[in-house]
Amino acid sequence: MSNIIELDHITKSFGNSVVVRDLSLNVPKGSIYGFIGPNGSGKTTTIRMIMDILYPDSGVIRIFNNVQTGIHLDRIGYLPEERGLYKKMKTKELIRFYCELKRVTDPSREADHWLAKFDLAASANKKVEALSKGMSQKVQFIITVINKPDIIILDEPFSGLDPVNADIIKEAILELRKSGSTILFSTHDMAVAEKMCDFIFMIYKGEKVLDGTLESIRKKFGEDTIRIQTEAGMNGLRDIGGISNINDFGQVQEIRILPETDDMLILKEIMSRTRIKKFEISSPSLNDIFIRIAKPDKTNNHE
Amino acid sequence: MNKTLIIAKREYRAAVKTRTFLISLILLPVFMGGGMLVFTLFKDKIDVSDKNIEVIDYTGQLGLDLKEKAEFWNLNHVLNEEGEKIAPCYNIILTEPDTAAPTEQKLNLSDKIRGKEIHAFLQIGRDVIHPRQGEEQSEMFYYAENAALDKVRDWISGNLNNRIRELRLQELGIEQERISDLFHWVNTEGMGLLTMDTKTGKVIDARKSSQLQTILVPYVLLLLMFMMLMMSAVPLLTAVMEEKNERIAEVLLGSASPWQFMMGKVTGSLAVSFTTSAIYIAGAVFTVNWMGLGDMIPYHILPWFFIYLFFNIIMVGSIMAALGATCNNSKDAQAIQFPAMFPIIIPLFFMMPVIIDPLGKLATGISLFPLWTPMIMLLRQSTSVTIPIWQPIVGLSGVMLFTIFSVWAGSRIFRSAILLQDKRPATKLLLKYLIKG
Repeated sequence: MSNIIELDHITKSFGNSVVVRDLSLNVPKGSIYGFIGPNGSGKTTTIRMIMDILYPDSGVIRIFNNVQTGIHLDRIGYLPEERGLYKKMKTKELIRFYCELKRVTDPSREADHWLAKFDLAASANKKVEALSKGMSQKVQFIITVINKPDIIILDEPFSGLDPVNADIIKEAILELRKSGSTILFSTHDMAVAEKMCDFIFMIYKGEKVLDGTLESIRKKFGEDTIRIQTEAGMNGLRDIGGISNINDFGQVQEIRILPETDDMLILKEIMSRTRIKKFEISSPSLNDIFIRIAKPDKTNNHE
Repeated sequence: MNKTLIIAKREYRAAVKTRTFLISLILLPVFMGGGMLVFTLFKDKIDVSDKNIEVIDYTGQLGLDLKEKAEFWNLNHVLNEEGEKIAPCYNIILTEPDTAAPTEQKLNLSDKIRGKEIHAFLQIGRDVIHPRQGEEQSEMFYYAENAALDKVRDWISGNLNNRIRELRLQELGIEQERISDLFHWVNTEGMGLLTMDTKTGKVIDARKSSQLQTILVPYVLLLLMFMMLMMSAVPLLTAVMEEKNERIAEVLLGSASPWQFMMGKVTGSLAVSFTTSAIYIAGAVFTVNWMGLGDMIPYHILPWFFIYLFFNIIMVGSIMAALGATCNNSKDAQAIQFPAMFPIIIPLFFMMPVIIDPLGKLATGISLFPLWTPMIMLLRQSTSVTIPIWQPIVGLSGVMLFTIFSVWAGSRIFRSAILLQDKRPATKLLLKYLIKG
C-alpha cells in the first residue's frame, strides 16, 4: 500500500516550547488512521501542519508524494476540533458556499443529497443559528466531505455528539473509506479508535510513542492484564502480591501483573478469598495503554 | 471561480443584504453632513425679539447718532411688505456715564442683563473719533451674555464706524455728497480660468469661482473617501476577529489558503465600498443637476476617486484584516482599533490647510505619503487649481507599491496569527511573523 501522507522528522515550536519533536509518520492510502494523545500533546498542531495552515520548523511533509501540501487543498477535507459556521447564513446556502470553494460540480444537487442523507432536508432553509448543536455538527461534517476528498482529516469528529448522531457520522466515515478516501482522525474515545482504525498513532508531549496496528501495539505490551469479575469485587483483590495496578470498573476489575509473576498464583489467591464469575488473561486495552503512557507517574498506584 | 472571489461574493452578499447596510447607507451622510444641512436650513431663522441696549456714551454725540440709526432701522427693516416681522427692533437707551464710579455702573447694567431687563450695554470711549493707541477711552465695548456671536454687536459696530468715518471726513472738509462714494466697496469677483474647446476652437469664458464650490467639492469627496474606509476597511478588524473567535476561520482554512481568505474578505469590502460610493455619487450628481448646479460637479475627478478608493481599501483593509487576526476578543479589538485608525484620520486634520493652499509645500509633501495620498491628493485635485500631472502619477505609484507591501505584510501576519488563541502577540512577535512568515 502506498503512502498518501508522509511526515518526515517534523519539528514545530511556538516560542521556546517545542510542540512537535522529530515526528515521522506514514499514512497508507485507503486506511483509517487514528490519532490519539492527551490534550496538548501536539495532535492539532500536527494536523494543522498537514493542512499547510502551519509550517514546520524543520522536516518535510508530503501529501500525494508532493512537498507543497497547500496546492492539494481541494483533495483534502478538514474538520477542525473547534469549528464554527456563519450563523446568519441559511443551511443550504452555507453548504453551497463550501461546495463552490471545494469546486463541486453541481453544488445544489450535492447539497440536497447530503442534507437528505443526514436527515437535515427540513432545515435547508433555516439559518444556521437556528440549528441544534448536533445538527450544526452534521452540517460541519457535510461541508468537510461534500467533495468526496481523497484525504479526510477529522479532529475530534465525535466530540459532543449523542450516540445516534455519532453513529451516523461513523457510518459516513466508513462509507467514505469504502469509496476510496483515506481517513485520519483524532479522538479521545479509545473504544472508537479500537473499533474503527486500521492504524493507531499516539503522540505524547510532541513525540511519537505508538504507531502501528492495534494488534501490533497490544502485542508490544504483552499479555499482562487480567480481567476479572468476582462476588467481592475490589475488596477481594486488596494486598495481593505481584499486582502493579488495578483498574476498577465497578462490575469488572482490570489487573496489571508485574513481570515474571505467575498469573495462576494470583488466581489461586483470589479463589481463596471469593467466588470468581469471570477470569480472562489478555493484552491491555488501548485505553489502558493510553493511561500507562500518559500517566507514567501514577501507574504504580491503584486507580 | 477563483476562491478569493467566492469568499468576496459571500462577504459582499452578507454585507449588502442586511437591514443594517441600508440604514447606514441613509444615516451616514446624514450624520456626516447633518451639521451643515441644519446650518443651511436654519441660518436665516434669526431671533426677531426686540432688543433694549443701554449706551454709555463718553463722546456725547455718537450715542445720539446710534439712536437715530436705530429709529431708521426700526421703521425700514423690521417689517417686510406683508407686515411680517423679519428683524428685531433696536431700542437705544442713552445713559449718562458715571465718571465717579464707572465699574459700579457697569456692574449694575450687567445685573440688568442677567435680569433680562436689557439685552446688552455699550460703552463708547471718549476718544474713539481720534483714538490713541492702547487707551481704554479710544475703544468701544459691547457687553452681553453672548457678546462674541451677537449679531447686534455687528450692527452697532458697522453703523458707529461709518458714522465715525463721516465725522472724520467732515472735519477734513470733504463734502457730504462725496462721502457715499468714498464708502462704496467694490468687490473683486473670484473667477476660474478661461479654456478653449479643443473641438470647436471656441474660447469658453471663465466661471465665477464660489467659496462654497471651492470648499464643498473637495470636502465632500474627502469625506466620502473617509466614510468608505470607515464603512468597509476598518470593520475588517472586528470581522476577522469575530470569525477567528467563533472558529469559522479554521473551517474556512480547510478549503482556502490564508491568503485567499484574507483577500476574499478585503475584496468583498472593496465591492461594498464601490457599491456604496457609486450610490452616493449617482445620488449627488442627480440632486445637484436637479438643483440646476450641474456645473459644480467635477466629473474629471470621479475616475481618480475610484482609482484611489480601489487601492485605499485594499491597502487599509489588508492591514485591518491582519490586525484583526491578532485579536482574540472584542477587548483586544477595541484596544487596537483607535491606534490603527489614527493614520487614516490624520488627513482630515490637514483638510483646510490643503484646500487653502493646494500647491504649497505642506500639501504637496503629505499628498505624496502613500497612506495619505488617496485622500490628500484627491483633495488637491478636486480644488480649482491645476496640480502638476507628475504629482498624482508619483503619488499613485507610491500607493500601488505600498498596497503591494501591505497585502504582503498583512497576509504574513494574518497567516501566522489567525489560529493563535493565547494573548495578542506583541509588536516584536508581529515583526517576526512579518520577516519569517
